Amino acid sequence: MKEDRLFFLALLPFGAIVVAVFIVFVSTLLYNSLPIFIHEGLMVYTSSTWRPVENNPEAEVYGLLAPMIGTLEVSFLAIIISLPPGLSLAIMIEEYLPTGLKSLMETIIEVMAGLPTVLYGMWASLFFADYLKSDLMIPLHEILWFIPIFGCMPESPYTVFTAGVILGIMIMPYMVGLILDGIRQIPKKIREACYSLGMTKYETVRILLRLMRPVIIASVLLSLGRAAGETIAVSLTIGNTYNIPECLFTPGYTISSLIADQFGNSGFYVYMASALYAGGLFLLLLGVITSSTGLYLMRRWKTSV
Amino acid sequence: MITIWMHRRRILSLTLFLVLALIISLTTPSLIAGNKETIHIRGSGSTFLQLQLMAWITIFHKVRPSITIEYNGVGSGAGQQQFFEHLTDFCGSDPPLSHKTWLEHKGRILQLPIVLGAVAVVYNIPELKSHRLRLDGKVLSMIYLGEIIYWDNYYIKRLNPGISNLLPHAKIIVVHRSDSSGTTEIFTYYLHRSSDGLWPKRLVGKDIEWPVDRTGRGLGGKGNAGVVSIVKNTPYSIGYVELSYALRYGLDVALLRNRAGYYIEPNTTTIIAAGENAARTGLLPISPTGDFSKELEAIVYSPGRLSYPITCFTHIIIWAKYPPHKAEAIRDFLSWIISSGDKHILPGYAPLPGPVKGIIIRAIELMKSGG
Repeated sequence: MKEDRLFFLALLPFGAIVVAVFIVFVSTLLYNSLPIFIHEGLMVYTSSTWRPVENNPEAEVYGLLAPMIGTLEVSFLAIIISLPPGLSLAIMIEEYLPTGLKSLMETIIEVMAGLPTVLYGMWASLFFADYLKSDLMIPLHEILWFIPIFGCMPESPYTVFTAGVILGIMIMPYMVGLILDGIRQIPKKIREACYSLGMTKYETVRILLRLMRPVIIASVLLSLGRAAGETIAVSLTIGNTYNIPECLFTPGYTISSLIADQFGNSGFYVYMASALYAGGLFLLLLGVITSSTGLYLMRRWKTSV
Repeated sequence: MITIWMHRRRILSLTLFLVLALIISLTTPSLIAGNKETIHIRGSGSTFLQLQLMAWITIFHKVRPSITIEYNGVGSGAGQQQFFEHLTDFCGSDPPLSHKTWLEHKGRILQLPIVLGAVAVVYNIPELKSHRLRLDGKVLSMIYLGEIIYWDNYYIKRLNPGISNLLPHAKIIVVHRSDSSGTTEIFTYYLHRSSDGLWPKRLVGKDIEWPVDRTGRGLGGKGNAGVVSIVKNTPYSIGYVELSYALRYGLDVALLRNRAGYYIEPNTTTIIAAGENAARTGLLPISPTGDFSKELEAIVYSPGRLSYPITCFTHIIIWAKYPPHKAEAIRDFLSWIISSGDKHILPGYAPLPGPVKGIIIRAIELMKSGG
């Protein structure tokens, strides 16, 4: 008994540290973003003017709407691009591949999920973006020009679309991992029941998929949170220009790449750092919402099967 | 069995402990002995200055091994911040202190122009091969305003009669910095001064709203390296970077029309010419305690037949007073730069003209007399 108590006390600090770091982190973000809220109120989230002025703090205006929309656009695009192949890959690995190949595939996926994102960014900005522009973006524009998001001709290889595709490729392994976890949670008896009724593999998978719907939604949410925070790979491919991208083939900005670009020299201005902290707050909120809903769905589902 | 195993483990841990103790005892004396003599100076700031400063520091360290100088390229803005928070002993800054900041710290800080540099306009037009593109402030302004769309535009052709048939009918991809930077300030200041008001005053600064971005043809790159990489990989693009980067990565550099009407390539001669003409304008202070905030006016688009129009000083900012051993080390380093620095100038930079060097000499004197 006494030993258990001591053991618990010995472990306690580490748990406490994590919670403390989180609290310090959130309060730093809140405290540092306070000046911009006092300066311009909620305009920081509703306007899209970015006007740093030196030596005249009153004239400084920072609106984060454009990079906020950019962040959401890029993340949703990444999900749309990674979900169909991710789901197919997970099903193939689990239902069709023999054991040896299965573990090989899983290793490859693990490696891809763990690669430093700057590698994806470099590869994309130096090689992939050009092909994407000539072989996918231009044809898409020529065929689907009447849809507004494809309505403009891509002028350069660095666009919101490019960043979205790269992010999609990057988060796919992560998503596959989550979906695989989900498939494995389904009790064997369901699968056995399906086969014993004489169902084909296709029919069985359809039943499994229906069972897994909450897991898929949760995986999408968790991946979305991850995509929204990605910095370097996006920064290298999105073009980093401050406008609201109405069409996917124009350059744009995301909150995280804006912070990465501007934080170093924000000391020239009075409110810029604070505005960037407000951007950080937005990312934090987005992360909290996606992660907690995702984890909640995942947990509820695990107890239900 | 168990006792033997535990015994072994004890021996193992004991040996490990002894080895560690040995390593520590062997290394510490040298550390302590080293510390006694060595004076450590810390600085941070301008990434543009970094290459040149690191080269100087390396050579200086060979001459005076007892002084170690450390420099982090964190950007001029962050450098100034860290310096005023006393995290560093000096900062490197491309722009001089603003008038307001200077007033705040007047008398307690010294600003020293330390080397000359230039902003090069770089482009990627495969059709031009080795032919050089000529540009002036007005045409550059129209390009960055988004008003000139194609490379075979009438205004560009007019400046380049010799190669007008080579200019392609391709859209111009306009690249700028996505972080706030002294380079952007110097470049936009040049556009403003050389374009007869085409480039408005409100678009001069370290970070501005680029009109061309609204056309979808604008791109932002982080740091000089970011702009270099975009221009290199994007045909029909144009950008502006510090000359040293343009040279190192082999980008095509445009000739720019200077105030006297000549098309000038940025090189050591033309950069020094601009520096000398700037010194003659009377806008530069002669003392390091003075206000340098009018410096851009003096050196950007400066008069003179040979002056390259987008030339700039980069600075080291120090306190007037330090603890004695630090003051001595900094003085030694500055004296060495005055006497031997010119021999170790890297490509893309140029040595200071004589009158401006006088500012550093005055700073050394001021530090000797104790500020």
